Amino acid sequence: MIPPVDAAPVLQSVGITPIEIALFVFVLITAVLTALFRDVLAAIVVFAAYSLGLALIYTFYRAPDVGLTEAAIGAGVTTVFLLLTIAKTTRPATDELFEPIDWPAVAVCGLFALVVGSTLFAFPAVGDPLSPILQNGEVTGYYLANAYSETGAHNAVTSVLAAYRGFDTFGEAVVVFAAGIASLLVLGREVFTT
Amino acid sequence: MTDFVSLLTTRHAYVLFVLLSTIGLYMLIANENLVKKIIGVNMFQTGIFLFFVSSAYRVGGSAPIVEDGGGPYVSPLPQVIVLTAIVVGISLTAVGLALSIRLYSEYGTLRADALREVIGDE
Repeated sequence: MIPPVDAAPVLQSVGITPIEIALFVFVLITAVLTALFRDVLAAIVVFAAYSLGLALIYTFYRAPDVGLTEAAIGAGVTTVFLLLTIAKTTRPATDELFEPIDWPAVAVCGLFALVVGSTLFAFPAVGDPLSPILQNGEVTGYYLANAYSETGAHNAVTSVLAAYRGFDTFGEAVVVFAAGIASLLVLGREVFTT
Repeated sequence: MTDFVSLLTTRHAYVLFVLLSTIGLYMLIANENLVKKIIGVNMFQTGIFLFFVSSAYRVGGSAPIVEDGGGPYVSPLPQVIVLTAIVVGISLTAVGLALSIRLYSEYGTLRADALREVIGDE
C-alpha cells in the first residue's frame, strides 16, 4: 500500500526560529515596561519601541504592508497623538520608577489569559501549510490566482483592499472621517460654525 | 508536559498574542491614568493583529505579491483585515485622547479615580 503524499512538500519544518525568539523577547519586555512605568512620557516612548518591534514581527511573517502601516501609524501617528495629549494636559511628576502592581487586576487578567490560552492547543502550528486558512482554495486561492489578471495589481493585498473589498475600505474612510469630526467637536474647534 | 513544550515551540505567536492582550487588559484595568488606559487598549488591539498576521503565515511562503511561477504565498486576507483594523484603531485612539483632553480641561485631572470622586460630588 502506498502512503498518501502531502499536497505540498514541506521545505522547512514549522517551529520557532531564533529571529522570532529575539523579536518576541524584545516586544514582551517593552510591553511589560509600558505597563509598569509610572512616568507617562517614558511609557509612551517605550510603547513606540514596542510598535516598531511588532512592525518587524509582521514583516517577518511576510506581511510587509501591515508592517509598514504599523510603523507609520503605530509607532508614528499614535506616538504623536499621545505626546500631544500629555503636552496639552499634564505629565504627573513622580519619584518612583514603576507603578505598584495591582494584584486583583493581575488575578482577573490571569483568568483571561488562562481561558484564552486553553484554546491554543486546538490551533494548527504557526506556518503549517496544511492549516485550514491556507487550504481555502475558493476564497484565498481565487484571489491569489486572479488578482493580477482582474485588477492589474501584483500585490494581492492591494487588489483585495482597493478592488474586491473596495466598499469596505470606503466604510473605513467613513470611520476615519467620523472620528475626525468627533475629535473636532469634542475639542470645541469646529471651524464651520459662525 | 510535552503539550506545553509543543505549544511554546510551534504555536509561539499565538502564545505571544495571549500575553500581549493580557498586558493590554491589565493596563486598561490597573492604570488610573487615562492616557495609559488608552495605550492599554492599543496594546490589546496589536495583540489581536499579531494573531491574524501569524495565522496567515506559511513556512517558506513569500509575501502575497503575485508573479508568474511564484509561490507559495502567505494568505493575503488576514493582512487586509488587519490593515483596516489598524486605521480604525487609530481613529478610536484619536477620539479617546480628544475626550481625555476635554475631561482634563473640565476637571483638571487625568486620573480615573480622581475623576470618579469629582463627578460623584457634583
